[in-house]
Amino acid sequence: MKVLDKKNAEKFLEALGSEHKIIVPLQSSGDLNFGDPDVHSQVLDYKGITHYSAKGFYFPESEALLTFEMPGRGEAGTIAIKDHVNDTKTVIWGIRPCDLNGLKVLDAVFLSEPIDPYYQARRRNTLLIALNCNQAGKNCFCLSLGAGPCAHEGFDLGLTDLGDEFLVKIGSEAGKKLVEEHNELFNDASSEQEEEAKVLEEKSKRSFISSLDVEKLKAKLPSAFNSPLWDEQVTKCKICGTCCFVCPTCHCFNIEDLKKSKKVTQRMRYWDTCQLSGFTQMAGHNSRPNQADRWRQKVLHKFLYLPHKYEGLMGCVGCGRCVDHCQAGIKIVDVLGRVADES
Amino acid sequence: MNHNIYFPQIAIIKRVKDEAEGIKRFTLELEDEKLRESFSHRPGQFIELTVFGVGEAPFSITSSPADKGRLEISVVNVGEVTAALHLKKEGELVGLRGPYGNGFPFDEVKEKDILFVGGGIGLAPLRPLINKMFADRGSFRKMTILYGARTPGLLCFREDLTAWAAQKDSVVLVTVDTPDERWQGNVGVVTSLLPKVEINAGITIAFVCGPPIMIHFVIQDLVKKGLAEGTIILSMERRMECGLGKCGHCSLGTVEVCTDGPVFSYGQLKALKESI
Repeated sequence: MKVLDKKNAEKFLEALGSEHKIIVPLQSSGDLNFGDPDVHSQVLDYKGITHYSAKGFYFPESEALLTFEMPGRGEAGTIAIKDHVNDTKTVIWGIRPCDLNGLKVLDAVFLSEPIDPYYQARRRNTLLIALNCNQAGKNCFCLSLGAGPCAHEGFDLGLTDLGDEFLVKIGSEAGKKLVEEHNELFNDASSEQEEEAKVLEEKSKRSFISSLDVEKLKAKLPSAFNSPLWDEQVTKCKICGTCCFVCPTCHCFNIEDLKKSKKVTQRMRYWDTCQLSGFTQMAGHNSRPNQADRWRQKVLHKFLYLPHKYEGLMGCVGCGRCVDHCQAGIKIVDVLGRVADES
Repeated sequence: MNHNIYFPQIAIIKRVKDEAEGIKRFTLELEDEKLRESFSHRPGQFIELTVFGVGEAPFSITSSPADKGRLEISVVNVGEVTAALHLKKEGELVGLRGPYGNGFPFDEVKEKDILFVGGGIGLAPLRPLINKMFADRGSFRKMTILYGARTPGLLCFREDLTAWAAQKDSVVLVTVDTPDERWQGNVGVVTSLLPKVEINAGITIAFVCGPPIMIHFVIQDLVKKGLAEGTIILSMERRMECGLGKCGHCSLGTVEVCTDGPVFSYGQLKALKESI
């Protein structure tokens, strides 16, 4: 393993910036989010988790899939179609283990046949530098899902914050190359430093306040379809969909055409959410007319249907963002805990 | 050729026909000759159709696979894309992706009595299956087609209904919920036709397509008649967006209607809950 002095971290990113678009955590007016490097607000050793997960860099909130250009009035010719597959080389610094595990769900959906070319291009061209969590947030329950607080795979470089420096674990050939090419910025890690990281991980694991009995829940969910608990949520839920938008695994989308000019139209893809009634609205009927139906769908999709479809892969990584940002204060761990206890 | 799964191919509208009140039938031909040759579909499959400048929507293919090189869709004017499509004229261009979905079973239901129950535009996906079965008449036993619409003006595929009725060993019954002065046929919902035909539960496969409320009552009656859950075959309508099993709109438990369906047996759907 290697160590990267915190003073060298910025230099490392600057050097990578010559060939990559760099994404870093930024703290501005109380909000923590990923964005373009900015010396005034970037926090390379940030604490906690970002408001939005890193999924937007693979599967953006809104993106143009295709552009259609019609021939002008009276002009001969067919319709020109252009696609917008984006292969910009990118480095994301500081992705948390929960978000890293969230990518497994996006991979399962977008990289299974037929492969989504937009997601695939971003995934192929993005290097991930993960940052382990030394302290769980009050709503974090990644430990229960095996998705944190530390990542041991799935990254190109994996960092642990040791105070003055980052311990660097190499996770891929591409990660190894990054270190080799900037060898002057790295030092070899001492056995004490490696030991310290292990101690920090154990300490971090003991810092969780929220948890979920996943095995018990899994056993109960198949028979929980008619549970009255879903109805109870409706009385509180504000039906805003925030829980899905901040979720690192939610991947539902809508396709809409946006007229740019008389001749040019863009086919856009936007995040969508099963929490809104329009999601299942058809001409004259709706298959999930009540919010209870939609709440149940969200839970069963993550904890029952996805694991069934993708060899046990859980659709929740326990990042707790849906709790952090719920306007109604609904705590998914509490709801699920009651499903496990009462159903 | 572009292999992007979202990329529509250009098609020319060769013919526009008034199917029924507010319903038009479009005959489409892919512009690219190679694609036109290689395009093949199974009855029950659908396409995603683009009206350039407006948007994309899914439609059942209503033409027969035997009719190579041309595709037909019958479209009710109910939304933004369909309204724009209704304004299109012969010679104009649209985009299409597909075919998508599993389609109806065919070889698996040979040597059986076949019962079709369709409501309104729900006859569209059944039509290519009915035609394919009549083209292979010796492989199937009795063919019964029950079809209903709200009013006589909303009856689709009238010339097909006449042609099917003229076939050997076939029964075609049509009904409307609300007749006009000239209507002399059956009056009542489509289930009111069921007592008028003989159904041999042990050897019958039923294909059902129509609005959810119709499907609900048809299933009830067919089960009462003794049809097993696995022998009632339905084509599900869900709000499909991508047609590729990714966008989540048509998720139904562990299946995506657009890729795992839209054709399911009643037995399969019952196990999926929230579907019927």
